[in-house]
Amino acid sequence: MADLLMGLLGTFFIVATLSVLWKDNIVFRFGQAAVMGAATAHYMIMSATSIQSMVLSQMQLLPILGLILGLLMYTRLFRNIAWVSKYPSSILVGVGIGVMLAGTIKGQILQQIGMTVGDIQTALFTTGDSVAILNSVIIFVGVVTSLVYFLFTVEHTGTVGLIAKVGRVFLMISLGANFAGELVWYQTQMIGRLMFIIQELLVPLGLV
Amino acid sequence: MSDRPAGKDENIIVQLGTLPPSKYFLVHLAGIILMFIPLIYPMGLPVQTSQPVIDYVRTIQNLPEGSVVAVSFGASAALLDEQEAQFLATWKILFSNKLKVIFYSTTEDANIILERHLGTKVKPGDYGYSYGVDYVLLGYSPLGEAGQAAFVQNIRSLYPVDYHGTPLNNIPLMQDINDQSGVDLIIFEYTSCTDVEWVIRQWIVPFNKPALITTLGCCGPMAAPYYPSQIRGFLSGSGAGTEIEVVSGFPGPGAAMSDSKSLGILPWLVSMVFANLAWFMRRSK
Repeated sequence: MADLLMGLLGTFFIVATLSVLWKDNIVFRFGQAAVMGAATAHYMIMSATSIQSMVLSQMQLLPILGLILGLLMYTRLFRNIAWVSKYPSSILVGVGIGVMLAGTIKGQILQQIGMTVGDIQTALFTTGDSVAILNSVIIFVGVVTSLVYFLFTVEHTGTVGLIAKVGRVFLMISLGANFAGELVWYQTQMIGRLMFIIQELLVPLGLV
Repeated sequence: MSDRPAGKDENIIVQLGTLPPSKYFLVHLAGIILMFIPLIYPMGLPVQTSQPVIDYVRTIQNLPEGSVVAVSFGASAALLDEQEAQFLATWKILFSNKLKVIFYSTTEDANIILERHLGTKVKPGDYGYSYGVDYVLLGYSPLGEAGQAAFVQNIRSLYPVDYHGTPLNNIPLMQDINDQSGVDLIIFEYTSCTDVEWVIRQWIVPFNKPALITTLGCCGPMAAPYYPSQIRGFLSGSGAGTEIEVVSGFPGPGAAMSDSKSLGILPWLVSMVFANLAWFMRRSK
């Protein structure tokens, strides 16, 4: 019985959320507010638990320092001392850049360039596979022309303009692939909810 | 769909390609109905497997028994339908290959998902696993990239206790593990597309650690450039969830979704085709 009630409740919120496809209405707004409220409460509890286990239970200097910096962020809420929040923000930005910088240069620039060129070499001189050669050439052309598209110090006319246009085509294909992924993602969410309705409500009620 | 509705003198293609917003729900309704039917009456449409998914499975299967796998689990309950098939198949492959698993959550709701999976859907006990000896749940810690950088150097600085409040020093599996050197493979799950860079910068570049990735379908194109040289394999979206079930031989929710996806996408595809045709027809006039 409890499972069936949970199924009913879940189905109500699914239908409430989907009702916006028809038009904005009070049932949708209720469902939206309920889900947002529950999620926010959950996040707050999880964050508080995390602070408890990582900082308060240890009582070590560095975690407490981190907690104090975190609390200083909230000074933004008070206009007269809002400037204090710039200190934790600056530390956060500084640490973030420091942590990512070394890995970025090697992993995302040098190694990626190496792989772009290396793929062609491997395909030409090692495997000799025509499909692999074609693939590696397409990737190479895509990388170079897309980079030229973002080259703003030279006017995009003549040869540079032509290369930039090719780069734009590659960028459009890439964005298209991203958007297709988004669309299928939304569809999968819908299918997941339909499966929930079938398994948690229709099957227990003997309707399918 | 165009903002300018078709006039009465325009042909059927333009009429269909320029539905006014008030009629959009008809397309959505058709999609929902077409998605629903295969869930009741499965059609068994074929599924093609891709190399990143095959490599993902083989990388796990090729690890020697007893190897330690860290799972950085940044899943979200709101996005679970997209990835649940990936997760369930991955847990089954890990457990059936007798690998030691360290789960750590990087999002607030990831633990709920893990608890539900390991409590009801893929029970470690069914594979002869004991908590603390063969697998451990470290719980939630708000790890960004700086957190991942800290994890690879000192796990106890982030997780002094496990999810149940037991100090890590009292957990047999964690006795000799406190940094990346004790981990043989990292499986990195994320739902924010650029987070793929975290595992590249913090696990792969400095330590050359073998890494696998699981993510949403829309994040796949951003993970692909790092495969196969930097990441050994990746799963992106529900399609990969279906594929991994086929490759690994562990059926799950992905199989049921496959038909529904293939059929349900049709109304939106047809809408796009008609909208483009209408645009070209109007332009040519």
